[in-house]
Amino acid sequence: MTVIFQLNGEDCRFDGDPMTPLVDILRQERFLTGTKAVCREGFCGACTVHVDDEAVPSCLKPIGLVQGCAVTTIEGLSSGNQALHPLQANLEAADAVQCGMCFPGMVMSLSAFVRDNPHASRPEIKAAMVGNICRCTGYERIVDAVADRLEQARKAGQSVGGIHV
Amino acid sequence: MSELSATVMNLPRRDAQDKLRGRTKYTNDRVRPDMLHAVLLRSTVAAGRIRKLDVSAALRCPGVRAVATGADAPGLYGIGIADHPLLAIDTIRYHGEPIAVVAAETEKQAREALAAIVLEVEPLAPVSTMAEALQPAARLVHEGWRGYEVITEGGARAGNIAWEAKSSRGDVDAAFARPDIRIVESSFTVGRQSHVPFEPRVAIGSWEDGRAHIQTSTQVPWTVRNVTGRVMQLAPGGVRVTVPPVGGGFGLKFDASIEPITALLARMTGRTVVLENTRQEEMATCLCRENAEIRIRSAVTAEGYIAGREAVVLMDCGAYGGEQVFLTTMTAHTLGGNYRVGATRLVSRAVYTNTPPNGAFRACNGVYNTFALERHTDEICDALGFDPMEFRKKNVLGDGDLGATGQVFEADVLGPMLDRMEALRASTGTSEAKADGRLYGIATTVGTWFVFVGPSAATVNLNADGSATLVTSGVEIGSGTMVQSLPQIVAGQLGLAPDQVIVREADTDAAGLDVGVGGGRTTVSIGAASIAACAEVREKLLRTAGEMLQTRPEDLVLRDGRVEITGRPGSGMSIPTVVAHAQATTGPITGSGAFTARNTPAMSGCAMGHFIDALDIPVFVVHEAEVAVDPDTGHVEVLAYRVVQDVGRALNPRAVMGQIQGGVVQGLGYALHEEVTITADGRIAQDDFETYRLPLAQDVIPVAADLYEGAPSMGPLGTKGAGEVPILAVGAAIGCAVARAIGKPVRQLPLTPPRVLRLLHEREPPPEFPHIAPGWASNTLG
Repeated sequence: MTVIFQLNGEDCRFDGDPMTPLVDILRQERFLTGTKAVCREGFCGACTVHVDDEAVPSCLKPIGLVQGCAVTTIEGLSSGNQALHPLQANLEAADAVQCGMCFPGMVMSLSAFVRDNPHASRPEIKAAMVGNICRCTGYERIVDAVADRLEQARKAGQSVGGIHV
Repeated sequence: MSELSATVMNLPRRDAQDKLRGRTKYTNDRVRPDMLHAVLLRSTVAAGRIRKLDVSAALRCPGVRAVATGADAPGLYGIGIADHPLLAIDTIRYHGEPIAVVAAETEKQAREALAAIVLEVEPLAPVSTMAEALQPAARLVHEGWRGYEVITEGGARAGNIAWEAKSSRGDVDAAFARPDIRIVESSFTVGRQSHVPFEPRVAIGSWEDGRAHIQTSTQVPWTVRNVTGRVMQLAPGGVRVTVPPVGGGFGLKFDASIEPITALLARMTGRTVVLENTRQEEMATCLCRENAEIRIRSAVTAEGYIAGREAVVLMDCGAYGGEQVFLTTMTAHTLGGNYRVGATRLVSRAVYTNTPPNGAFRACNGVYNTFALERHTDEICDALGFDPMEFRKKNVLGDGDLGATGQVFEADVLGPMLDRMEALRASTGTSEAKADGRLYGIATTVGTWFVFVGPSAATVNLNADGSATLVTSGVEIGSGTMVQSLPQIVAGQLGLAPDQVIVREADTDAAGLDVGVGGGRTTVSIGAASIAACAEVREKLLRTAGEMLQTRPEDLVLRDGRVEITGRPGSGMSIPTVVAHAQATTGPITGSGAFTARNTPAMSGCAMGHFIDALDIPVFVVHEAEVAVDPDTGHVEVLAYRVVQDVGRALNPRAVMGQIQGGVVQGLGYALHEEVTITADGRIAQDDFETYRLPLAQDVIPVAADLYEGAPSMGPLGTKGAGEVPILAVGAAIGCAVARAIGKPVRQLPLTPPRVLRLLHEREPPPEFPHIAPGWASNTLG
C-alpha cells in the first residue's frame, strides 16, 4: 500500500505494510532518531509526534492512518539553526534535562498542551503528563518549566505557542 | 579561595539543547542500513542441561551471516569470581539466559532464523528462592563452583553461597549477656527493583585492524573492554570501547552484558553488528537491585546505649555472582553505619538461585539495609519507650566513633545534619492538615553511604586557541558530571571559562583506566585526576610565562584567560600567547593526572571477605517523609519530603538539587509501587511498562533539600558524590512514616495498597526465615 503524508513540511511517500508503526518509519527509514522508541506500547510517551497538530504516540499509529496527514517530529519543531521552541527554552533554563531520552516526547506532548491550555494550573500540567514518563528527573522541574512558559506567555499577552506547529 | 569561586556555579548543561531538539545520538540512534542485526535465543526454562544445540539450519536461513554459541566464546567472567559465560555452555541457569545468537541482514531475518535452531534441553527443578538454595540438600546452581577462577581473594564460598563477607568488632556475646540490656529483634524482606533506563542495553560491534571496536551504552567502558578480551580470549589491548551519550543507567550498565557478543559476531562476519535488547528482554533480564532478607538483633540499655548488634543479610545474586559478590561488602558500611554501637558482628551472603542475575542499582545494598536499620531503630524506640528523634540524636555516628569494621569516623556530621533537618522543617512547615482525615505519619531517618573512589586517569591538553581538552574515560549518563562539574573543575584550575573546556567522551584508546561512572565517583575521582593533570599544565604554563615576563612562576596567577602577575589585574599576557610560545620552544602544553582510593584501614581482624574494608569518603543523609494513608484503600500519599544531604562541597548546587529530586522519586517508586516478582517458572513477571509501575508526574512532590557542606572529604575541593545517594534513605523514611501512620510494624517493601491494607487488618504475615539459624555464627562459613 502507498501512503502519502507530510513529514516536517515536506511530501513523503511510503510503500509497504500499512500496519507498520509510524515510529519505525521515522527512525529506520527517515533517520529521524529524535523520536524515541522506548516502551512501544503507548505508556512512556517518548515517541510522541504531532499528527495534524495533535500529540500522539507514534508507536501506536499505523502508517496507514497518516494518509493525507501532516506529521511533525521533534526535528521539525525547531529545525536547523532556528531558535528553540519557547517551551524547549524554558526546559533548558530550568536545568530540567538529565539523560534526555524522554525529552523529545515530553516536548511534543507539552508543546501541544501549552498551546491549547494557556491557563492550566500545576495539577492540570501534571495530569497532562500522565502519558510521558521520565526515569531521571522526578518531574518537578519539567512542571516548573511548563508553568514558567504559561506565565511568560500570559505576561506577554500573546497566544501561547506562538510558533505554530 | 579564588580557585573555588571560579569553580562553584550553576553552570547550565551544554548537552541540553541537543537533547531537547532530539539531535543527541545515543548508541541506539546510530544504527545504519549496512549493519547486521543480532538477536538472541534465550532460555525458556529456569534450569536445565543442554542436550543438543544445532545451529546449522539457522545458518542456511535467508540473510543470516553468522550464528554463535557458547563454544565460540568459552571464557568466563565475573566480579570476584569468574562464573559467568557469555552464552550458556552446557547448563542453563535462568529463564532468559542467552544460548545462541544470530546475525542477519535484518532483525526480522534474524528472528526467523532463531526458529531454525535445534535446541534440546533437559529441564531441572529450579532453585527458585534463597530459602531453597540454603537447604542442606539443595541442588547446586553451579556444580563446578570449586573450579572457578577466583579474581579477588578473601571471601568464603560454598555451594550456593557465592560469596560471604563478615565484619566483627568487640565481644558481641558479652554485650547480649549483659543484665542491663533488652534485646530487640527484627526481620525484613525486600523485593527487586528494575532500573528501566529509557535506552536499553545496546551495543554496536565492529572489527577494525584486527581489533574489536564496541560502541555501547555503558557506565563502565573499561569493564566492557576487559570482559570482552577475557571471554573472547583476545590478545592484550584487543578491544576498543567508545561511549556515546547514555540514555540512563542507574547502575544497570555497571557490568558488561551483551557487548562482547557484538564483537564476537563482528569478528565472524567482518561486518558491523548491532544488538539491542527489546524492552521485554531488557526488563526480563534486568540486572535488578537484588531482593534481600535481613535479620537484625540489638542489645540496648535502658539509657538508650546500643551495647551490641548482630545481623544476617541474605542477598539474592540470581544465577551468577555478578555485582552482589562485591556488594556483600556494603552491609558492614550501611547496616553497620548510622549509629554508635558497642560490639557488632554482621554477615552478608550472596546466594545463587535459578533466577535472572541481579546487579548494581543506585545506592546498591544501602537502600534496603537503611530501610531495615531505620525500621529496626524505630522498633527499638517502641520497645524501650524512646523518642525516635532523641534516640537518633543521641546515637548517630560522630567524631571518633567506630564503624562495623573498626573504621574511625571523623567529625560530627549526622548530629548537626539532624539539627539542620529540624531547621528545614521549621522553614517549610509540616503538612499534617493535608492528610484530611486519613492516617498521618511523619518520620526522620538517617543513612550512611560512601563514594566508590578507585582509579581514574585524566589528560588535559591546553590549546593555542585558549581552549583546553579534557580526556578521560568518563561517561555522561545523565547526571551532568561530564558537562557540569568536570569542565567547572578544569576551568577553575586553569583560569578559563567552563565553555572553553572541551570534554572528550570515553574512548579506551584515548584515555587511561577508569572503574566507571557509578558509586557517586565521577566528580571525585575523575575530578581529582583532572586537577592533578591541571597541576602539570599550570606548572608548564607558568614556567613558560615566567620566562616571557621575566617573572618568577610563583608570582604568577591564572585568571580570566590570562597569566597575570599576582595582584596586578590585567598585567601579563593571554594564555594563548603563552601556549603558542611554548609550542614553538618546548612543545605543546599537556598534563596527565591519576587518582585512586586511599584504602583507609579497618581495625585488624574486623573485616573478612570485603572488597572495601573502610570508607575513604563516607556520605551521610537525613531524610524526612510525611505520609497520609487511606484506611479504605491502603493508598499512601507522600505529603512532604525533606532532605539534608552531606555533599562535602556543592560545585553546582542547582545540578545537585536536580539529582536529589530525581533520586528521591526513584526511591519513592521502590518504597511504594515498583514491584518485581518471580513466577513459578522462574520469570520476572513485570517485563513491560504496564506491569511495572514507575512513578508518574502525579505521584511526586517537590523535595525540599538543604545541602550540608563542610564535612571532611578527600575529594577535590572537598567534594563528595551527590548523584547516587539521594535514593538511599527513601525506603527508610517512607517505611517508618507509614508504620507510624498505621500503627503497625512495616517489615517489607514496596508498600503497595494491598500490602498496606493487609498490614492495617493484620493479615500480612511477618517475614520468617527458617533458613536463617538462630545463632549468628551458624549463618557463617566459619
